[in-house]
Amino acid sequence: MPTFRLVLTVVVSLALAPFAFAQDNVRIGVVQPTTGPVAYDGNIYVSTVKMLVDDMNAKGGVLGKKIELVVEDGACNPAQSVNAAEKLVVRDKVVALLGAFCSTSTAAVMEVAKKHKIPLITGISTAAQLTEQGNPYFFRAVATTPMLGNAFGPVLPKALHAKRFAFLALNDDWGRSMVASYPKAIESAGGEIVATEFFQQSDLQFLSQITKVKASNPDAIVSNANTQQAVALSKQIRELGITVPLVGEGSWTSDSYIKLAGPAAEGVYGLVEYVYTIRNPINDAFVKEFQAKLKENPTKFAGAAHNAIHIMVDAIRRAGAADPEKIRTALERTDYNGLVGNIKFDEKHQAYGQTVYLARVTKGIPEVIETAKISKP
Amino acid sequence: MSPTITILAQHLLNGVLIGCAYALIAMGLTMIFGVMNIANFAHGEFYMLGGFVAFYLVSLMRLDYFVALPLAVAVVVALAVVLQHSIFRRLREAPVMTTTLVTIGLSIFLENAALLLWGPQPQSIPTPFPPKPLSFLGVYTTPLYLFCMAVTAALIVVGHVLIRRTRMGKAMRATFQNKEASALVGIRIDRIYAYAFAFGAALAAAAGAVLGGFIPVEPASGGVITLKAFIVVILGGMGSFVGAIVGGLLLGLAEALGAGYLPNGWKDAIGFFAVILVLLLRPEGLFKRA
Amino acid sequence: MLDALPYRLATIAVLVALFAIPLVVHDDYYLHLFIVSGIFAAAVVGLDLIVGYVGQLSLAHAAFFAMGAYTSALLFIRLHWSMWLGLPAAALLVGVVAIVLGSIILRTRGHRFIIITVVFAELMRLVATNWVDMTRGFMGLPGLVVPPLVLPGIGAIDLTSKSRFYYVVLVAAIVAFVICRVIVRSSIGRKFVLIRENEPLAESLGISAFRYSMIAFAVGAAIAGAAGSLYAHYVGFVSPDLFNFSYVTIMLIMVILGGKGTLVGPALGAVIFTFLPEFLREASHWRMITFAAILIAATLFMPKGIVFPLLTHLLPRERRLRNARAA
Repeated sequence: MPTFRLVLTVVVSLALAPFAFAQDNVRIGVVQPTTGPVAYDGNIYVSTVKMLVDDMNAKGGVLGKKIELVVEDGACNPAQSVNAAEKLVVRDKVVALLGAFCSTSTAAVMEVAKKHKIPLITGISTAAQLTEQGNPYFFRAVATTPMLGNAFGPVLPKALHAKRFAFLALNDDWGRSMVASYPKAIESAGGEIVATEFFQQSDLQFLSQITKVKASNPDAIVSNANTQQAVALSKQIRELGITVPLVGEGSWTSDSYIKLAGPAAEGVYGLVEYVYTIRNPINDAFVKEFQAKLKENPTKFAGAAHNAIHIMVDAIRRAGAADPEKIRTALERTDYNGLVGNIKFDEKHQAYGQTVYLARVTKGIPEVIETAKISKP
Repeated sequence: MSPTITILAQHLLNGVLIGCAYALIAMGLTMIFGVMNIANFAHGEFYMLGGFVAFYLVSLMRLDYFVALPLAVAVVVALAVVLQHSIFRRLREAPVMTTTLVTIGLSIFLENAALLLWGPQPQSIPTPFPPKPLSFLGVYTTPLYLFCMAVTAALIVVGHVLIRRTRMGKAMRATFQNKEASALVGIRIDRIYAYAFAFGAALAAAAGAVLGGFIPVEPASGGVITLKAFIVVILGGMGSFVGAIVGGLLLGLAEALGAGYLPNGWKDAIGFFAVILVLLLRPEGLFKRA
Repeated sequence: MLDALPYRLATIAVLVALFAIPLVVHDDYYLHLFIVSGIFAAAVVGLDLIVGYVGQLSLAHAAFFAMGAYTSALLFIRLHWSMWLGLPAAALLVGVVAIVLGSIILRTRGHRFIIITVVFAELMRLVATNWVDMTRGFMGLPGLVVPPLVLPGIGAIDLTSKSRFYYVVLVAAIVAFVICRVIVRSSIGRKFVLIRENEPLAESLGISAFRYSMIAFAVGAAIAGAAGSLYAHYVGFVSPDLFNFSYVTIMLIMVILGGKGTLVGPALGAVIFTFLPEFLREASHWRMITFAAILIAATLFMPKGIVFPLLTHLLPRERRLRNARAA
């Protein structure tokens, strides 16, 4: 009989142990591409989140408990991101999710979040449809392309001294969304659209499209691309003899772009949600810490990570418990002041109110030329 | 010149630039296919390695650009010789499925090895050419583009001469046409295989090293290049050098003109439609085996 | 010989074990892996028909899988067809596409056949990516669901839990396997093998390589399309990533390393090469390098694959036969 009771105690303790552990830590899951074509940026996101969580834990964590991060590789591949999210939710029992970088992967992970009722924030995925699906567990903490267009479209003609605008956009949802939404805002300030050309995700030479754009005689070229394509585009545009200003959404002001594009980066404008040259107390401290610990300047993905983790932890604090449903409700009532200003979510869980920036690369430094606020969509 | 003509000329020039590269890469592929009867699915990886090794030599080891390029090709050729000796030598009489699976496996191996060594970031090779464009009657190009065209065209001519004029070339063509007879007259088939494989790899690597100056190269580039090379070879005729050259130039020009004058997004489809046409109308390709 | 008692017992034991898995395994993560393995097992036994039995290396199979996924997804989203209708529709449509493609390319052999299957697969990928009005391009098609099973008298049985959906996949995989097995053991299957081993002889006997290749190609494709439909509804989301060459690669690895021309080999390969990458999550590039090296080595030195020969070593009758032959 005593043996039986001993065995029973051991078995019950082992069965309850996971719950015991769960009560000591607040587990947040992160799905990011740590391998694959965007691994460089994905790893920056992860390093930033880890750095900030360490800071938060040093100050006592949240709700008196330590924050535990569990990171899984989604590789910007929807199937792999789904596997990663399933593992985080089912095995690691996370109470919240951050991810998954590329819009298609985020779309896939959204389904997992909805199925298991875990709140998910993305600080990076900008595909418009993500907030149109009525998924109550998904929150987007970044402005979409149409929102950026509305904020800066009217500013561009004056800032670039341009009337004739040509688009050279990526042939995916991001680029098509830009081409659909920017023209109205640009035209409202007296600009006109003279050409629209697209390139594919896998293209690395754009000579034909650039030639066509050139034929339309623009005063400025509007584009969207991430680092590798941005570098190739900038170089080839200059190599084909086009000297007008180039402005783009994407990685046009990051250090890696500036380094790789060399002289072609000079004078390029970026429409960004974050750049390290922003001057405010929170960013000054962030940049200093980032430079000290990670030895480079924070990129926009670091900024996105800063927003995402802070908003999530802020919501957990306001929820009063590490309970996914309470966190979700708290997220809806977000009124967060942080790295890029004030952020609230609208009924579709789309963030608004933050400041966005037009930066120009001058002598290798992306300087902020203009700012604008994202209005409620 | 009127703007329309200028733009047309620009598109044509762009097409020649890309077409020369396609032709060079396809020549290598068709050489390997013709002599060894192997469809080299890892061909694009030779291009990619040519680009990466050149990048490594120029930017990390700070070698002179004009030394680094041939050296990069030499490194890839050395790799090809090792592969030929250890793997492909055993596959002389092997069935199609076996050789194809081996080259597919090789392609995965090389792409992931490149990912391990250099990471996924695309890299452009720093060149000594000034970036300022040159213009002639409104058509723009840069010294680098001219260099690329000159080198690829020169290599194509060299390749052609080698095949047609030298003893080695004649021996290769003989092996192409009739292996048994060639062996009987004393041609050392093993040697021919090694030369063919090395030469094919060299052409692809040269293209990668030269183009890497303005088209960034990444480990995943191999797959796209292999596909383009196969399209050219199907169009031009598997095993025909002339076909590879003409096919490559035609594809380059067709894509440039298509991108220039057709609605967006149709550029890549051009190659595929051409393949379908060829399959339906003239399955062996434009030219017969050389 | 395959009807011999040890084989029969082994088959029954395996079936019992497969059906018992959800009773023993409660961890949703592992059940997820079993489900994905089952879907891929169904897809690759179809591939084995053309690769293993007829002996032609088709690299279009993963594209058939992806097309099945897209067909089922589009029927669900646009016409509200549940998976019960979408799956057979996907199989049918993909089978028809395979017949059309086959009629163009199955007369070629060797390298040109292989390359053209690659070109076709890439063309399908371009269509999925660029025909945005239909497929939503890169954004993909989300919101797919597993439908309940409505039985008269019992009502609707919810199948969304992993243990329940596992049974759906298991039944589908068994059906796929049985279809292929029946074909392979029939006179059609014998003709496949004859075409593989000695095509001129087959032609001289009046056996049309074109016709029989078409059977293997179309049936294999239809099964892959059905598996794609299951995958789409399970994952809930379809995107052009499904056309990536990585799916071709992994299916080839499953078939070749599992043991082509055996049906059981590829099915086992599907399980092993679904679980193994998950266990080796950390070492993504080394993992692929190792798989590639094993693929090359196995193709060179172990044409019968790794898994299946290993298994047959374990059965007593084989050993007795081998010993007898060695003596």
